[in-house]
Amino acid sequence: MKKVLIANRGEIALRVIRACREMGLATVAVYSDVDRAALHVAHADEAYRLGPGPATESYLRGDLILDVARRSGADAIHPGYGFLSENAEFADACAAAGVTFIGPPASAMRALGSKTRARQAADRAQMPRVPGSVTGLASADEALRVAAEIGYPVMLKAAAGGGGKGMRAVTSAAELPAAYTAASSEAERSFGSGEVYLEKLIEQPRHIEIQLMADTHGNCVYLGERECSVQRRHQKVIEEAPSAVVGDDLRRRMGEAAVRLALSCGYVNAGTVEFLVSRDQDSGEQNFYFLEMNTRLQVEHPVTEMITGLDLVRMQLRVAMGEPLGIRQQQIRLRGHAVECRIYAEDPENNFFPSPGLITRLMRPGGPGIREDCGVYAGWTVPLEYDPMLSKLVAYGETREAAIDLMLRALDEYVVGGIRTNIALFRRILLDEDFRASRIDTGYLERLLSLPAAPADAEIPDDVVALAVALFASSSKQSAVAASAAPESRWAAAGRREGLRG
Amino acid sequence: MTVWVEVEGRQRRVELPPEAAAGGALRCSVDGSAVEVDARAVEPGVLSLTIEGRQYRCVLDGDAVIVIGRGGGRRFVFAVEDTRSLRGRRGAGAGASGTRTVKAPMPGRVVRVLVTEGDEVAEHQGVVVIEAMKMQNELKSPKAGRVIRVAAAVDTTVGSGDALVVIE
Repeated sequence: MKKVLIANRGEIALRVIRACREMGLATVAVYSDVDRAALHVAHADEAYRLGPGPATESYLRGDLILDVARRSGADAIHPGYGFLSENAEFADACAAAGVTFIGPPASAMRALGSKTRARQAADRAQMPRVPGSVTGLASADEALRVAAEIGYPVMLKAAAGGGGKGMRAVTSAAELPAAYTAASSEAERSFGSGEVYLEKLIEQPRHIEIQLMADTHGNCVYLGERECSVQRRHQKVIEEAPSAVVGDDLRRRMGEAAVRLALSCGYVNAGTVEFLVSRDQDSGEQNFYFLEMNTRLQVEHPVTEMITGLDLVRMQLRVAMGEPLGIRQQQIRLRGHAVECRIYAEDPENNFFPSPGLITRLMRPGGPGIREDCGVYAGWTVPLEYDPMLSKLVAYGETREAAIDLMLRALDEYVVGGIRTNIALFRRILLDEDFRASRIDTGYLERLLSLPAAPADAEIPDDVVALAVALFASSSKQSAVAASAAPESRWAAAGRREGLRG
Repeated sequence: MTVWVEVEGRQRRVELPPEAAAGGALRCSVDGSAVEVDARAVEPGVLSLTIEGRQYRCVLDGDAVIVIGRGGGRRFVFAVEDTRSLRGRRGAGAGASGTRTVKAPMPGRVVRVLVTEGDEVAEHQGVVVIEAMKMQNELKSPKAGRVIRVAAAVDTTVGSGDALVVIE
């Protein structure tokens, strides 16, 4: 392997380019029309256009990406996350073109890609899963029968699902037939497959996942867990490693189950097994249930890297070259605590409305314990076409409390101008008593957001703001900011222009 | 010199000495109360102010100033205007009287227009749905009234701040 094409954009493309550079591999970036000036392009050795902005005409066009691989002589493709990363047909097409797909074999992606097939694989690997059906439901009658067996409340889920689409919580038999029809037609619309299955609704679960890495020689290790319970609309907002509620014994049981599942499917490269974890009301025991397996590198992989000291992307590249892992399970040590905040171009004060546009200013935090995987810069226009994630800010400390305090300090330093971001939301969460005590589950954030926000710290007197505004006015080029009306109005416009120049 | 500023809807009168543009130790006043401030430009659009030993880093961001202190950056929307026009605008836009315009909060595509000219709408009633970044968002009427203009058309692209619907 000499030259790697990165079939992705943004921070993850840059993350992979950096790892390739460190290993002496040449890098090929691809871009859509709106991404010519994107950061990942400016960091690559070679860069080629794919097509127009929409992902369906650029980053999802496997044929165009393989054309670029041929033209540039790239012998491997890293898919990042999202886009084509879990597309078995694309992995097949890479193999047919003689290009290494840096990820699992297509057969393993197929075995784990559908949620119903993954549930069957979990049974074969003797792994606990949420009770319910392991095949698609043929009718509302079958749904009623399965639900009666496992007891309400239940959850209908799309077999091809993700991101909360095709999902319905159902509390009684009366609601089930209508919910079945709704979930099935939503799944059909979103994923082209109306297959839905049913499982017991686990109440107030935590979302905890195990990171795996497997090589082509039959070795597979687990690299601890990540706690991803802070979610909004099924999207992760804050991730951390390790989980405050996972002890050595639970970690070993979950890790070994995840490894069994991966090996039973011929899995190779990085992967993540997601679990729901809940505490039994009576025994107080913690139970874990298989949820699904993600057959790719995850967004939140940095928190695992921080506490294991391993570089997952470099491991991925070495595995793809056919090298053995070179590390045994007993050698993996977890140390300290890492927290990640996903910084998005969205406005928490306005119903999380996306806020793309020109970044006029970027003041990034630094100091000990801070890592930032950032895909943007001052002067970059965040496009409308893709996920509005700007950056992943990671704090690492000796303890969970230290990592949280470090993150709060870093967020204080972080200023993004021109667009709105969710930075203030993280402050609210990280200061919340329940979060700090790790009393969290997948419904935690929605509950927090339904409460009125505490008023902002009254640390900044109004006079300071008035003075700052007046001083900016007086120092602007049009400093004829006299008492008369017209120049002042002109200054207001000039101030805006200056802000844009950044 | 006198500068009238409006911060978060509150009007303030700031007096600056003639040498204010150069920065340094300045004797100023806000609404008649004297304030000693030391102002330094640390980079374009960023001022460090010290007042009685407290330090505030102030960042100009379009029509807002972000003041960074303990507890993170807080954003204050401002305007610099004269008294007359400020008063005039208050009179026109305040309360339930006058016209209000529903504007696109961000660039996107119009998916649905829920009203036509002449319709009576209630406050918070949805008027237009726009799609941006794969999310559909319903924009609501800021007041009860009658729709006097519909500028939004289905399947057209709109820019941030574009007028979509005017309500009287």
